Amino acid sequence: MNSTFGAAAAPELARPALPPAKPLAGTLFTLVRREFWEHRYLWLAPLVVEGLLLTLFAVLGHGHLNIRDEDFHGVQDVESAKVAAFTIVQWVATVPLWLVMFTTLSYYTLDCLYAERKDRSILFWKSLPVSDGLTVTSKLLTALVVVPLGIFALALVGDLLLSGIIGVRMATGNLPAVVAWSTLEWLRAEVTLLLIVVLAALWYAPVAGALMLISAAAQRSPFLWATVPLLVAPLLERIAIGSHHVWDFIRYRSDGIWHTLLEGADLQLVTHDSVRPLGSLLQTLNFGRAFTDTNLWLGVAATVLFVWLAVRVRRYRDDT
Amino acid sequence: MTAVIEARGLTKRYGANRALDNVSFSVEPGRIVGLIGPNGAGKTSALKAILGLTPFDGELHVLGLDPRSQRDALMREVCFIADVAVLPRWLRVSQALEFCEGVHPRFDRAIAQDFLKKTDIRLNSRVRELSKGMVTQLHLALIMAIDARLLVLDEPTLGLDLLYRRKFYDTLVNDYYDKERTILLTTHQVEEVENLFTDVIFINHGHVALASSVEDLGTRYQQVTLSADAAPRGRALQPFYERELFGRVAMFFEGRTPAELGSLGELRTPSIADLFVAKMAGSST
Repeated sequence: MNSTFGAAAAPELARPALPPAKPLAGTLFTLVRREFWEHRYLWLAPLVVEGLLLTLFAVLGHGHLNIRDEDFHGVQDVESAKVAAFTIVQWVATVPLWLVMFTTLSYYTLDCLYAERKDRSILFWKSLPVSDGLTVTSKLLTALVVVPLGIFALALVGDLLLSGIIGVRMATGNLPAVVAWSTLEWLRAEVTLLLIVVLAALWYAPVAGALMLISAAAQRSPFLWATVPLLVAPLLERIAIGSHHVWDFIRYRSDGIWHTLLEGADLQLVTHDSVRPLGSLLQTLNFGRAFTDTNLWLGVAATVLFVWLAVRVRRYRDDT
Repeated sequence: MTAVIEARGLTKRYGANRALDNVSFSVEPGRIVGLIGPNGAGKTSALKAILGLTPFDGELHVLGLDPRSQRDALMREVCFIADVAVLPRWLRVSQALEFCEGVHPRFDRAIAQDFLKKTDIRLNSRVRELSKGMVTQLHLALIMAIDARLLVLDEPTLGLDLLYRRKFYDTLVNDYYDKERTILLTTHQVEEVENLFTDVIFINHGHVALASSVEDLGTRYQQVTLSADAAPRGRALQPFYERELFGRVAMFFEGRTPAELGSLGELRTPSIADLFVAKMAGSST
């Protein structure tokens, strides 16, 4: 009885408890911020491009804007055609941003796990209590969620500013009143764009994952590792067995989902007697089929595999 | 009390080469341990194993955790400066503080800022604008602000001038070390820091050549400086190393008593640097 009592009263071993980890969300937020500190082009490039674009719209003569009153000759409902025309201008104005996004993210995913090894700063990052899984996840999140949504938000704000600029120019007689504003159509156009951005992020996720794996694994020159096999493999297949499956796969992976999305869709927004708003694509594009496409989700599964491999490589690689 | 580091049969292979070959040692809490060895001896491999940066064989516990499987938890309690200048060049000082604050549960930003105030480092500077000495100061500021139980330093002052080196170690001992924290340090400049150590581990060719507290070194090892004609008498007592200096001979003994050696010549406890040279020379022949 005595001994039982004694055991219960024995002091705990003098080993202070491990401090609890920081909350995951806060750590992830810090990690994502870090990405924008290091890869400043991720936010600088789109801002510069959008700034230039808005400046162009503000100063260009209306001849360059390429919509004239005469274009609406023969159009039955001129007022709704003007609203529709605005949504198309709105969409065209975002195209440079998507090109910037595509370029910067290709570079970013290929560089993000290579740069930290090249300058050996990985030893500093690894001296802090952040797991390799969380670090790599933060980079994937940056590429597939934060940047696309950020650029979408920028496009949205840019569209509003553009509307303002065009509105002011029309009101002052600086531009012919060839376009008109409708909040509903503006919203429908933005929803269409957002769905396309989400679809693109899902479809290109395995590409981002593969580039990150190359970034984590390449001894040097990840760019060559990312590009040369794409050229050499189809060529070898053609020479060796005369077929072109690899090339077909590469092509399919580069634009396959857009064929699914556009299949049978009526894309003729501007005809001789009407202009349809961009938002009308919501009804005619195959979003349902695109988002339930098996290959889309196989790609997402492949992304998980690539990222898991990238985490393993970062965790156990020892060449610093 | 449980050891901070407990290695048993630690082995690290690079292909057929063994950087660490069945190494065992332990580090008690509150010690400042010098891990000393020539280039390629396995020091860095040992540190990397302790920090969970590299796979290895054998048994290794750091603060009771396995660095292979519990690395993330371990890093909440362990700090390290690996080599020099691994702070990314694009990083701003303020960003470094913000990042550490954002991810480390034991980082106290105020401490780092107070420390930086005593230096010439400005908060909006980028690392690339700082001198090598200042980068090390910045790294030290970050480390000081983390309440860690084990600090691992791998050649932290390599490439710094004497003034910065002094300042670095003075800060470490006066402001950081508090007898509960443990510091594990590798360096080439043994002479400069040997007064710092409470313990030393000599490592050579992947083996532990010597592991001892500095106090015990004094009773285990003796150095006698004697004249050339007294040398044969000294050699009869089997020194494990001898070295000629200005016509006199310094002999190093293990496990002899002052009574045995006192009559030979000038008897003293060898410095860690001298003992290291003696041990390395002795083990390679």
